[in-house]
Amino acid sequence: MTLALTALALPFLAFVLQALVPPLRRSGRGAAAVSIVCVGGSLAAAARLWLAPLGAPLVRRWEWIPADGGPLVTVGIYLDPTAQAMLVLVTLVAFLVQLYSLSYLREEPAPALGRYYTYQSLFAFSMLGLVLAPNFVEMFIFWELVGLCSYLLIGFWYERPAAARAAVKAFWTTRLGDVGFVIGIVLLWRATGTFDFEALFGLAEAGRLPAGLALTMFLIYLGAVGKSAQFPLHVWLPDAMEGPTPVSALIHAATMVAAGVFMVTRAFPLFAVVPEVLTIMAWVGAFTALLAATMACVENDIKRVLAYSTVSQLGYMMAAAGAAAPSAAFFHLLTHGVFKALLFLAAGAAIHAVGSSDIRQMGRLFGALPQTGIVFLIGTLALSGVWPFAGFFSKEAVLSAVWDGHLVGPFLMLALTALLTAAYMFRVVFVAFFGADRAGGHPHDAPPLMAIPLWVLGFLTVAIGVRVAVAGGETHHPRGWLTALSLGLAGAGIAVAFVTYQWRVISPAALARALRPFDWMARRRYGIDGAYAGIYRGIILGFAWLIGWIDRYVVDGLLNALSAGTLSAGDLLRRIQNGRAQDYVYGVACGLLALLVASQIWR
Amino acid sequence: MSLEVGLATLMLIVFVSGLFSSGTARRCAGMIAAAGLLVLIAASFLLPPAGPGAGGAFVDDGLARFAKRLFLVSTFIGVLASLSLAAEVFSRRATEYYLLMLSSLLGMMVLASARDLILLFVAFELMSVPLYVLSGFLKREPEAIEAALKFFLVGSVSSAVMAYGLSFVYGVAGTTSLPGVAKALGSEPPLLVFGLAAVLAGFGFKIAAFPFHMWVPDTYEAASTPFVAWLSVAPKAAGFVAIFRVYLEGVGDRATLWLPAAAGLAAVTIIGGNLMALPQQNVKRLLAYSGIAHIGYMLVGLAAVSASGTAMVLFYLVVYVFGNMGAFLVVEAVARSEGAEHLGAFRGLAQRSPLLALAMLLFLLSLGGIPFVAGFWAKLYVLWAAAQAGLYWLVLLGAILTVVALFYYLAIARRMYIEAPARPEPIRLHPTLALCVILCALGVVVLGVYPTPLVLAALRAAAPLF
Repeated sequence: MTLALTALALPFLAFVLQALVPPLRRSGRGAAAVSIVCVGGSLAAAARLWLAPLGAPLVRRWEWIPADGGPLVTVGIYLDPTAQAMLVLVTLVAFLVQLYSLSYLREEPAPALGRYYTYQSLFAFSMLGLVLAPNFVEMFIFWELVGLCSYLLIGFWYERPAAARAAVKAFWTTRLGDVGFVIGIVLLWRATGTFDFEALFGLAEAGRLPAGLALTMFLIYLGAVGKSAQFPLHVWLPDAMEGPTPVSALIHAATMVAAGVFMVTRAFPLFAVVPEVLTIMAWVGAFTALLAATMACVENDIKRVLAYSTVSQLGYMMAAAGAAAPSAAFFHLLTHGVFKALLFLAAGAAIHAVGSSDIRQMGRLFGALPQTGIVFLIGTLALSGVWPFAGFFSKEAVLSAVWDGHLVGPFLMLALTALLTAAYMFRVVFVAFFGADRAGGHPHDAPPLMAIPLWVLGFLTVAIGVRVAVAGGETHHPRGWLTALSLGLAGAGIAVAFVTYQWRVISPAALARALRPFDWMARRRYGIDGAYAGIYRGIILGFAWLIGWIDRYVVDGLLNALSAGTLSAGDLLRRIQNGRAQDYVYGVACGLLALLVASQIWR
Repeated sequence: MSLEVGLATLMLIVFVSGLFSSGTARRCAGMIAAAGLLVLIAASFLLPPAGPGAGGAFVDDGLARFAKRLFLVSTFIGVLASLSLAAEVFSRRATEYYLLMLSSLLGMMVLASARDLILLFVAFELMSVPLYVLSGFLKREPEAIEAALKFFLVGSVSSAVMAYGLSFVYGVAGTTSLPGVAKALGSEPPLLVFGLAAVLAGFGFKIAAFPFHMWVPDTYEAASTPFVAWLSVAPKAAGFVAIFRVYLEGVGDRATLWLPAAAGLAAVTIIGGNLMALPQQNVKRLLAYSGIAHIGYMLVGLAAVSASGTAMVLFYLVVYVFGNMGAFLVVEAVARSEGAEHLGAFRGLAQRSPLLALAMLLFLLSLGGIPFVAGFWAKLYVLWAAAQAGLYWLVLLGAILTVVALFYYLAIARRMYIEAPARPEPIRLHPTLALCVILCALGVVVLGVYPTPLVLAALRAAAPLF
């Protein structure tokens, strides 16, 4: 308990120091040192906590908003094995990313660097708070805080219009889901009278949850749709790549976007009573996975490929949760957090070396950046689901869960996604790291401060996989045909990428022609972004114009009349204050009379 | 009764110190008073509650203790702030000044414990008469004399009305002890209704409910600001405690007799106070009217006639002590530097003295009822209690007029933060005044972030009344 509080308090301390002591913040590297030391302490506390596995969840609450008949809202900590594992993931990736950023952003002016680390500390605190929240209210507060940090960090280079736009887009799109989330929380409270997870789980276990929770839980799920970039609210995540690459690795790959999945896992006993919502979750998740994978196939920006792949993998997790296998979802969340952070950081190193994020301007990087190439390859193999890397086992667990849930449609979509995943990831590898064309200039490997986090994550990606392969995890129940299928799909994907982009037996253009409708639509992002822009321009701006007109002429008129009325009423009332003492005594007499009349009439 | 005895001893010490000093040396009377009040505050937390005294007329229950702590703390801040008064008259006649404050405090303390109508009335007058003198303390200034005279005239009329009403209550019940009154009430005689309404009018004067409030703006404007800061909170709290004693402990079982009058009083006080605050240009007058509006919100809590409603009024009173005193003291600091109390004096305060402006902003946000500053919880809880009692119309009214209140509070904030200052130099703050402002700001922030202990204490204090 103390350890969990320490892990939570240290980043907060760093944030407060940086926020309240301007000289520290402006010093840049000083702020970075404070931030890194604090999150390192958090990591140590989280790791120590993780070494002592818990039986029952450990809960500690303090009263916050009192009301008669028990406090309305409490604050506290809810620690269970899920939270323990999540703590380690968040602090580890945050620590490595902060270390990496020190080198990646070394050309930023000192005040900007200080600002960056201030936001990073706030993010680490908020994310840990979200993980440890014992009730929906506290979770929602931290949920919004991580959203705020995401907004601030996407817009870190706020002088770039694209970054500022992307920040606003991310903020509004996720907020759309949050509206559902908060309404759902309040409805749940109305139905059950509590926000507390333990109490709610108790009710669920005893089967005493009121009936008709489907809409409530669906609204809560909407929060996860926004945060975890599920269709149709996935549009913000690719644009969020306008932020610095380490931010993408931490917030938009490993931790914050997984918060939706984490929330569903955390509240799973409540979702378990509404199978219809679970079915929606599985279908939407699988569809998101497939949709995003096709868009990743035609993208040329390495970060955007990774972003679409994140959306796709989040769809995987949601599909597993929808198939009533939150443990598989959470397992995939953990492994994905590690190898996707690795991929982003490695991509960052490549971008850093080449000066562009377009894979067509890279090529033969493997020779110039051997270290980066190796770790990127490790990450790619894991993401594609190749034995014995971490991704293989978690992906297989997800597929197995979906199959067990008798969800044939989602299963097929996810299987196709697995093929596409291997294809688009190896397309990046062949084009950027091998390929025929050579990148201009003299790219060189990343400095040690950037390389160390890469190797740590690369080692973990292999180690987790090997450990499961050797020991057999609790979530891994091998099933012969499924193992063969997923390996086959990964192999097929790799083969397609190889013959197309490395061997060039099939020209990519011919492939695109063969699949023209898909290619055409995927390049236009299936028109979803366009549709939103159209909706925004046509309906919302039109609506805004209408509202503006009503506001200006009807509401303002009414309000002006009202406020003028209020002001003149105040003026009129002031006249009775004429300064004459005898009139004041009349006031007393009139008041007494009025009181008498009031108490006589309304008996 | 030991707290009252201690206070009387403190008064004697202050008195004697005045005999043995002369001229500006009399100033030390204020420091003695402040130190003594600190000791009494500590004692009020350490002393165990005593049983009833004076034949049951004097009780030392949870409500009395809660109220006494509130009076002591607010008087301590008031005395501390008065130490900064620079006019020569305040040092030459310092003994009188602090002695009068302390004797009014003694009246409040006895009032909080009084369970007998006669003791209650006597304590009420003991509290009120020093206030009349104090408001005319600047006796060479005609405005102060005029304001004190008005205060005194209206006050004595109200006291007469209250005494008249109390005589009816006695006539119906045949006893002056409150538990006796509670027992003796059989039917609902019209005479009792008349008596209770008259008593409410008398209390209405003290807590400055509309339309018994007329003395408030004139008196506040003319009297010295640290005194006004104290006058605007402590006697009002005392008035509410006395109302709880009479109306809840005495005739609480017959709430229907006075409930319509109380709810109506709450409604017109909220409306009147807020609307009249709108056109004010003098910040002290503005705060006077806004204070009237706050009294209306507290009356809403009374009209809920429930343990939670009463507790929330107590909570509101504590929050109001910090928010309102703090705001008045910032006004004092600004007025002393600028020589003016109108809104324009606050122009660009954020650039001149950022911390003072921040403190004022906190007080205004608390008075306006913005989340995570203490005033938010106070308003929320009071309205909540009223909603539980089914007084939805009152809740709606209160909520709507909160918006009006924000308009004039934020008008001050706008002047401080958005408009450019007329002069660049920072405002010089007397150290004791600064200490008071810090104390009040701390109170507002701490109670805003973590109101739990105080809310629970208020609930404990209010529970025995029901």
